[in-house]
Amino acid sequence: MSSLDATTSAARRPFPGRRARFGDLVLQGTAGIASLGALVLVGLIVWKIVAGSEPSRRAFGLPFIWHVVWNPVHGREAYGAGSFLFGTAVTSIGALLLATPIALGIALFLSELAPGWIRGPVTALVETLAAIPSVVIGLWGVLVLAPILRDHVDPALHSALGFVPLFGPASYGTNVFTAIVVLTIMILPIIASISRELFLSVPSELKEGALGLGTTRWEMVRGVVFPYAGGGVAAAMTLGFGRAVGEAIAVAMVIGDGLGIHVNLFDTGQTLGGKIALNYQGAGSALATSSLIYLALILLVFSILVNLLAQFIVRRAARRKGLA
Amino acid sequence: MSAVELSSLQRPNDRLRRRRAVNRGMEMLAWLAAAFAVFFLGFVVWSVAQRGGSQLSFDFLTKSQVQFAPPNVKQGLANAFAGSLVVVGLATAMALPFGILIAIYVNEFAPRRIRNAIGLTLDVLAGVPAIVIGFFVYGLIVVSHGQSAYAGSFALAVIMLPFVYRSTVEVLALVPNSLREAGLGVGAPRWRTTLGIVLPQTIGGVLTGTTLAVARVAGETAPLLFTDSLAQRGMHWNPSQALQSVPVAVFELSDSFDPNDHARAWAAALVLILFILFASLSARWLATRSKRKIMRAGR
Amino acid sequence: MPRNGKLVRISLAAAAVAAAAVVAVLTAGTASARTTAASVNGAGSTFVAPLVAKWESPVQQQLGISLNYNPIGSGGGVNAIATKQVDFGASDAPLSQFNPTCTSCVQIPWALAATGVIYNMVGFQHLNMTGQVLAQIYEGKITNWNDSAIKKLNKNQNLPNRKITVVHRSDSSGTSYNFTDYLSHVSPSWKSAAGTGTSVQWPTGEGEKGSGAVAGAVRTTPGAIGYVDVYYAVHNKLGLFKMKNRSGRFVQPRAKGILAAAALDTHPKKDGSLSIVNPPKSKKFRNAYPICTYTYVDVQKSSGGNAASIKKVLGWAITKGQSLGPALIFEPLPKAVVTFDKKQINKIHS
Repeated sequence: MSSLDATTSAARRPFPGRRARFGDLVLQGTAGIASLGALVLVGLIVWKIVAGSEPSRRAFGLPFIWHVVWNPVHGREAYGAGSFLFGTAVTSIGALLLATPIALGIALFLSELAPGWIRGPVTALVETLAAIPSVVIGLWGVLVLAPILRDHVDPALHSALGFVPLFGPASYGTNVFTAIVVLTIMILPIIASISRELFLSVPSELKEGALGLGTTRWEMVRGVVFPYAGGGVAAAMTLGFGRAVGEAIAVAMVIGDGLGIHVNLFDTGQTLGGKIALNYQGAGSALATSSLIYLALILLVFSILVNLLAQFIVRRAARRKGLA
Repeated sequence: MSAVELSSLQRPNDRLRRRRAVNRGMEMLAWLAAAFAVFFLGFVVWSVAQRGGSQLSFDFLTKSQVQFAPPNVKQGLANAFAGSLVVVGLATAMALPFGILIAIYVNEFAPRRIRNAIGLTLDVLAGVPAIVIGFFVYGLIVVSHGQSAYAGSFALAVIMLPFVYRSTVEVLALVPNSLREAGLGVGAPRWRTTLGIVLPQTIGGVLTGTTLAVARVAGETAPLLFTDSLAQRGMHWNPSQALQSVPVAVFELSDSFDPNDHARAWAAALVLILFILFASLSARWLATRSKRKIMRAGR
Repeated sequence: MPRNGKLVRISLAAAAVAAAAVVAVLTAGTASARTTAASVNGAGSTFVAPLVAKWESPVQQQLGISLNYNPIGSGGGVNAIATKQVDFGASDAPLSQFNPTCTSCVQIPWALAATGVIYNMVGFQHLNMTGQVLAQIYEGKITNWNDSAIKKLNKNQNLPNRKITVVHRSDSSGTSYNFTDYLSHVSPSWKSAAGTGTSVQWPTGEGEKGSGAVAGAVRTTPGAIGYVDVYYAVHNKLGLFKMKNRSGRFVQPRAKGILAAAALDTHPKKDGSLSIVNPPKSKKFRNAYPICTYTYVDVQKSSGGNAASIKKVLGWAITKGQSLGPALIFEPLPKAVVTFDKKQINKIHS
C-alpha cells in the first residue's frame, strides 16, 4: 500500500531569523539523523538483497530470470526464476482481471446507488476485509475454499469450458486457480475502497450538471465519474497488482508448489513470494539460499517499479485535473 | 470536465428507451458486483467466526501449545499471544520515535527537495513486499546472530515505519501556522514550540497511525518466518530468543493433519481479526476526535 | 492547550502503560531465561517428531531436563544446528547431503523407522505396489488408478477410474531423501531425471510443507498418493501400500519389515551414516520393507555450557528412549549402532 496523498501542502518555515539555540540544533540534528536513517535503511535493504544474491547471480547470470528450473539435488544444482515469474504473472493478472470490474461495481454501488442504510455496513465490511491478515485468508483458502473449488467449481468449469486450454483436467485442491481466487479476495477491498473515495470526490456540480442535461445515471458515470477518477482508479489497480505480486503467505498456502509452465489453471504452480516463503526453514544449500534471495531481488525491483508507476499515474492525473 | 463535453452526453430522444435499458443493466451489474463481493467477504468472516468461535475458551487463552498431544490434553495458544505481544510491542517501540522524528524533520525543517526525497523513499519502503523485508533482516541479523524476537520485531518495525511517518506528517501539516507563530511570538525557542505546542496537537493523529500500523503488523507472517519462527515450546518472554507468534502459529497449524490443530488455527485467526477490528475502530474514533481538536485549536 | 489536555493525558497514560509492559517483559524474559537453564532445544525432521514428542515428558521426569523440539523439516534442522541456533538438529538424511553441511557436528543415528507410501482410496486397504510403478506415478507417466500397471499388481481388486493426485514435500526433507533414494535405486529413469535429494525437481504433483501437511492433503484428496513416516499414516488411518521388496514379497512397513531391513547396515561409516534402503534379494531380507531409514541427530562437538545436558538426553534417547518407539512404529536400534552412538556422544564437549 502506498499513499496517494502523502505529500500534503502546508506552509513551512515561516519563522525567519531566529537565534539558533542549542535545543533547536539538537532537535533538528536528531530528526535529521532519523531521516537520514530512513534513507540508509532503504539503501541497506537494497544492498543486502543485492549482495545476498551475488553467488546465484554469478552462477546463473541474467538467464536465471527466465530459466524454468529449480533443482536442489546435490551435484545437479540449477536454479531459475522462470517458473515462478510465470506463476506470479498468471496469478496477479488473473486476480486483477477478476477484481477490477467487481471492485468498480462495489464502488459505484456504494457511491451512487446504495440506499443509505446499506452503505455503512457494506463500506465497513469492505474496509474490514482490507485489514484481514493474509495468513487468515490463506487459512480460509486452504481449508474452506480449496475443497469447494476442487469438488464443485473446477470440474464444472472443466466440463463447460474444457475446450479452452486454461480449464484443463482438475484434481488438485491447491492450484493456480485457487491462488487467483484468494488473491482476488485480497486485492478487491483495496481497489474498491480507493475507487469509492475517488468516486465520492467527484464534485457534485459535475454530476448534477450531467444529470440535469438529461443523461441517465450510467451515462453520467461513464461521461463524468470515470474520466474524473480514471487516473486514481488506474493507480489503485496498480497498487492492487503490486500487492498481489508481493503476496507470499496466502499464495504459498493454496497454490500447491508446482514447477514448470502449465497453461492449465487447475495445475499446481508457484510464485516468487510463495517459493521464498515455503523455504524459510532452510533451503538445503548455500546456492539455493542465494537463489531465493535472487528471487527476492526480482520482487524488490518489481515492487519499486510498480510503486513509482503508481506515483507517476497519480501525479499525472492530478496535473491534468489541475489544468481542466 | 468542461461544459462542451457534458453537452455531448445529450442524445436524441428516440434512443431514450435503449439508454434507459443500458442504464438499468449497468445498475443491475453494480448491484450484482456488490452482492457478490459482500457474499464472498461475508463468507470469509463468517467462516472464521463460526469455526473459531466455538474454540475460544479460557484454556485457549491461558495454556500453551503441546505437540502431538492426545485430544484430551488441554492446550491453547498462550505462548503465541505472549510472543506476539512482545514482538509487536518492541516493533512499536522502535518504529514510533523513529517515524515521528522523521515526520518532524520533514514537516518542520527540511527543504522541499529533501522532503520529497524522504517521502518518496518511505513510499517505496511501504511498497516493498513483507517477505522481502523478512529476507533482508535474515541477511542482516539472523545469519550472524540467529533468530530472535528482536530480529522479528525489527522486521515488523521496518514495515510499520512508513505508516507511522505518514500519519504523523499528515497531521503535522494540518497544525495551523498560527500556533507555531504564537509559540515563537512569546519567545519560546523553536524546539520548545515544536515539541511543546505543535507535537501535542498531533498526538491523536499519531496514535491513529500507530494503532493502524499495529493492527497491520500484528497479522504479518512473512517477515517473521525467517526471523522469529524457530520458537521453543512453552511460555517464553525473553526477546533474545525466538518467540512463537499468532500469525506464525496459524501458518503452522494450517499445515497439520490434525483437525484439532485446524480448530486452534481458526480460533487464533478469530482473535487476530477481533484485535484488528478493535484497533481499526479505535483508530477511526481517535482520528475524528483529533481532527476536530486541531481544527478548533486553529480558530 | 487546555482543550487538548485530556487527549494528552490519555496518550501519556497509554505510553506509560506500554513502557511498563516492555520493562515487565524484559525483566520477566531475563528471569525466565535463568530458570530454563536445564533445557535442551532441538529442531528438524518432522519424520522423527512424534517420537521426540513422546520423549519430552519422561526426559523431564527422569532427567529433570526440559526437552523442546521444533519439527521444521530436516533441512531446517541441519541449518539450525549449523548456525548454532539450537542444541541439536534432527535429520533423516545424512549430513553429507547438505551444502553447506555442519562440519563441526557429530552425527548420531538415534531412531529407526520406515517411510510409508500412503493413499486415499476408500475401501481399498493394503494395495500392492512396486518401486518401478511408484516411480512412474511420481514421474507423471501413470495418472489413473485403473492403469494396467497398478491393476496387474492388484489382481482381485476392482480399481475405479480415478485420477491419481501426487503429493510430495515442498520443503527440504529427509523423508524426501529416503523416498527419492529408494526410487533412484529401483528406477534408472528416476535416477537420471529427478535423482536423490532432500528436495528434488518434482516432475509432477502438489507440494506440502512437512509430514503433517502431506498426510492432511492425502487424507482430504480422494485418489491422492503421498509418502510420510509410518506413524502419520497409521494415526490418520490412511491406506498404506505393501511394497514389493527384492525378494519378491509385498511387505508392510511394520516392525518385522523394518527390523529385517535394519540388519542390512549396523556399522555406521566414519561420519555416522548408514544406508538400509532396498535390501538385496536374500533369505535374510525376504521380509524387509524396502523404504526404511535410520534417522540422525546432529550436535555441535563443542556445545558449550549445555553439553552435559545434551549428552544426558541423547544417552537416554538411544537406550531407554528406544522402548517408547514401537508404539509409534519406531523400532529399537541394533546393539552395534547403540555402541557406536555412545562413542559419538562422548565426542561432545563443552
